Amino acid sequence: MAFNIVKEKYRNKISQVTIGATKEEGGTRTSTVTIGGEEALPYLHFEGNIPNRPVTALEVWDIAPPGWNECFNQYYGDVYNDVGEWARKCVEEYGAEMICLRLKGADPDEDNRSADECEAALKKVLDSVGVPIIVLGCGKFEKDNEIFMKVAESGAGENLLMGVAEQENYKTLTAAALGYKHAIIAQSPIDINIAKQLNIMIGEMNFDTDRIVMDPTIAAVGYGIEYGYSIMQRARFGALGGDKAMAKPMIGNIGWEVWKTKEANAPVSDFPEWGEQEPRGINWEIVTATSLLCAGLNIAVLRHPSSLAVVKKTIDDLMKPNSY
Amino acid sequence: MGLTGLQIFKLLPKTNCGECDLPTCMAFAMALAQGKTSLDMCPYVSDEAKEQLESAAAPPIKKVTVGTGEFTRAIGDETEIFRHDKRFFNETILAIEVKDTDDVDAKCENFNDLKFERIGMEFVVDAVAVVNDSGDADKFKSAVETAVNKTERCLVLMSEDVDAMAKALEVAADRKPLIYAATNDNYEKMVELAKEKGCPLAVRGNGLMDTAELVDKVVAAGHKDLVIDPGSREMSQTLADLSQIRRAALRRVRTFGYPSMAVTTKEDPMEENSEATVYMSNYAQLIVMKTDEKAALVPLVSWRLNLYTDPQKPIAVEPGLYEVGEVNPDSPVYVTTNFSLTYFIVEGEVEGSKIPSYIISVDTDGISVLTAWADNKFSGDIIAKYIKDLGLEEKVNHKKIVIPGGVAVISGKLEDESGWEVIVGPREASGIPKFAREKFGK
Amino acid sequence: MLVIGERINGMFKDIANAIKTGDPTAVQEWAKRQEDNGAAWLDINCGPASDDPVSHMKWLVEVTQEVAKAPLALDSTNYDAIEAGLEICKQPPLINSVPAEWPKMERVFEMAAKYEAGVVGLAMNEQGIPKDAESRVALAMELCAAADSYGVPMEDLYIDPLVLPCNVGQDHGPEALETIRQVKTLADPPPRTTVGLSNISQGTKNRELINRTFAVMGIAMGLDTAVADADDDELMEAIACARIIMNLDIYCDSFVEVYKDRW
Ligand code: SF4
Repeated sequence: MAFNIVKEKYRNKISQVTIGATKEEGGTRTSTVTIGGEEALPYLHFEGNIPNRPVTALEVWDIAPPGWNECFNQYYGDVYNDVGEWARKCVEEYGAEMICLRLKGADPDEDNRSADECEAALKKVLDSVGVPIIVLGCGKFEKDNEIFMKVAESGAGENLLMGVAEQENYKTLTAAALGYKHAIIAQSPIDINIAKQLNIMIGEMNFDTDRIVMDPTIAAVGYGIEYGYSIMQRARFGALGGDKAMAKPMIGNIGWEVWKTKEANAPVSDFPEWGEQEPRGINWEIVTATSLLCAGLNIAVLRHPSSLAVVKKTIDDLMKPNSY
Repeated sequence: MGLTGLQIFKLLPKTNCGECDLPTCMAFAMALAQGKTSLDMCPYVSDEAKEQLESAAAPPIKKVTVGTGEFTRAIGDETEIFRHDKRFFNETILAIEVKDTDDVDAKCENFNDLKFERIGMEFVVDAVAVVNDSGDADKFKSAVETAVNKTERCLVLMSEDVDAMAKALEVAADRKPLIYAATNDNYEKMVELAKEKGCPLAVRGNGLMDTAELVDKVVAAGHKDLVIDPGSREMSQTLADLSQIRRAALRRVRTFGYPSMAVTTKEDPMEENSEATVYMSNYAQLIVMKTDEKAALVPLVSWRLNLYTDPQKPIAVEPGLYEVGEVNPDSPVYVTTNFSLTYFIVEGEVEGSKIPSYIISVDTDGISVLTAWADNKFSGDIIAKYIKDLGLEEKVNHKKIVIPGGVAVISGKLEDESGWEVIVGPREASGIPKFAREKFGK
Repeated sequence: MLVIGERINGMFKDIANAIKTGDPTAVQEWAKRQEDNGAAWLDINCGPASDDPVSHMKWLVEVTQEVAKAPLALDSTNYDAIEAGLEICKQPPLINSVPAEWPKMERVFEMAAKYEAGVVGLAMNEQGIPKDAESRVALAMELCAAADSYGVPMEDLYIDPLVLPCNVGQDHGPEALETIRQVKTLADPPPRTTVGLSNISQGTKNRELINRTFAVMGIAMGLDTAVADADDDELMEAIACARIIMNLDIYCDSFVEVYKDRW
């Protein structure tokens, strides 16, 4: 029968965010990434322009991460104590398109590192790789507020993506990012209303809301991922329909969430019916990342090099045109 | 939802003869849509239109059943584009390929082993897809026969050779396998076979338009237990095709009112797993894949559970006493609800505190702490009774219990009823590691 | 509900004067002002006194598009004027409007299909505005069937049940609201709905209160759009609130600002 292709018409598109700055742009990056700009639901190329591919990042810490699964030793064990080399390995050997530096060492419960030490860690990463950088605090409000300004300053000109701003703690980071012209991650606790309001509050500080990347807080598959997944789908659909406050690219800390789970870490001897531990963990990351890509994820922060390789290939495939 | 006036009007002769006791065909269409008249009041509705009207009143996506007995699986009968608008109902069937050139016996043995337990639930991979890789009808039949004998789960029979399919069905028809596939070249005979044996039939075209035409031909030939494979073998196009099929079906395009399916193409098991995740997230109701590695299938099946969860009815964990780390009689005891999200967050943070602990998950019908408290499902007396039922006294040598900070008000009642000392914990789970270090750290 | 800003209309003195003198200042000011306050479309109407609607429509479209991004609603009973506007619109506008009458529907739906424009369809015909909802819905159905036959999708058809001033046509109020509800069941996907909001309060006291109350009641019945005064802050606030309650927008504490800042 004559069948009419169903094409939705949308009134709005997702804002486009560039991260990183080359020499000409006042930074030292050899490449930049641009995300967002979608005019259609994820990968429905036939109904609207999807100008930018999602990107992948690998996560590095400024300290040797206590408690990472042993399977990571073979990849990062030799560089755990040198964040610059660690980042270099992620980019040069494993193909990360961005580096996500987590300043966990600043955590008072870890090494309680000073703002100067955080700055040094960032400098090392900036010196050893040319890709754009995401910088995350340690997650403790008070401490993060002590280090954000310094970190923003030392990355001035590099157009970092800095995180995270939360409803209870967004002012210092927003001011820091505003002062030194970085983009910002706005994180909400699996709550779409807060996600929206936070974007607005950040905007009220005169921060350009088209420089916000939303982190709706995702969980790993099997751990309530469906909440974040549906929030992302609602946000994206609302955004295309005209809700500008939701029209932001989205980031997910996939490695962080997945490698907390028992399913990624438990040795096969504990759960023989779940299969081998390392491939299981990798697959857990892959399925988590891929499902969220289908809901509109723009930056996937991963941990395992093999997950990264596979997710990148999937993105290649998803970005191929489809048409009628 | 029933038929709309516009849908009905388009199928009427538009002569406005008035024999239906209404002045115009349009008035008749509107009256029929509102249930104020019946279709047989108009003597001029063609049989074809009648059938279309009747089928348009059916659910937008037909329910199709594969298999028999305990492992019968139903797909289709979906009503949504987004799970958050209501829910997805019938979980995607995962079918694992076994070629008739493989050691079918061993492969099926391995397949049978694809069942696992997580969060107190049992999962199985649903179906074996026997592929006529040899091109030999007898070989296919014998492979199918082996599968029939080896496993009780669903079967997908994959051959475009009608004779091979006929032979295989001699031994498999009463298991209601999915016949894959009717194509432009073989559909007349495949439909005959499927009809005769009463089996569901996959229809595979070359792209969406071609598939639409083929489905119409198959339906015209009289078979309606269909699963649609749009035939694209490229991830991005397949995603688009699957979305189109879902959208069209929900807009009552009858051609696409059947469950859809996809076949993976990636050779590498991890890439294939990612590919399957894309199709599952985009409405595929049956996926044929090659990998039979548990490490790949456990997360995929977990995603399926999450995707098909009723958003109104959150997943609950089994209520009970959980151990985090190497617990001993001095270990602290936390109490929370059995709403899975709450429980997992608490569990993660307790684990992060690096102090081995017990967590009591109270049966709150899977709702969160504050909602449960407001609903009187997380009250002092209920928790006190549960502590007793669990025999906690025999497990630990202290009588201290940590409750979520948000429900500090229940402390008094809980202390009175249980005789345990109540420690009010942090309001948010994220505060647990710090709290634990201060309270219980060495 | 989204607002079609009503202010660029030759009925208003400043616009009539702009048309007469060829000075676009007033038109452009209103275009920006309405857009800034949340109008999703801008209505363009040369007014009853225009002696040359074709060229006046063209001029208004041109000068409005110089400053505003919002799509337009070409408001005229002169279809040549509408066609002149359609030719130069930068994005598909609405055609405002057509009654359920032949051959008017033919002309309008043909243009709509050609320019991928939306159409405001009035639930009235040669006999005027029906009194009850049932007859209005019957006319709406004729509009749906006609639009469909010209290939205009239901999402591009905006049925106007026609609202009369509540002081003289008080009995029409419930009928218009009921029409909105029923129109949504005529097709799947359903046609959209619209009203000329200020009609409800013509010649009454406390017009703004009546307007926004009717808007909110309409939204509850499925009213998608209205030609209205986007400059009326309390109206826009009430609409923003009704949209939240009807789950049409995602709630956040700043829902009013977000609604106004949509475009
Ligand atoms: S009897 Fe049938 S053809 Fe005649 S007016 Fe009624 S609906 Fe139309």
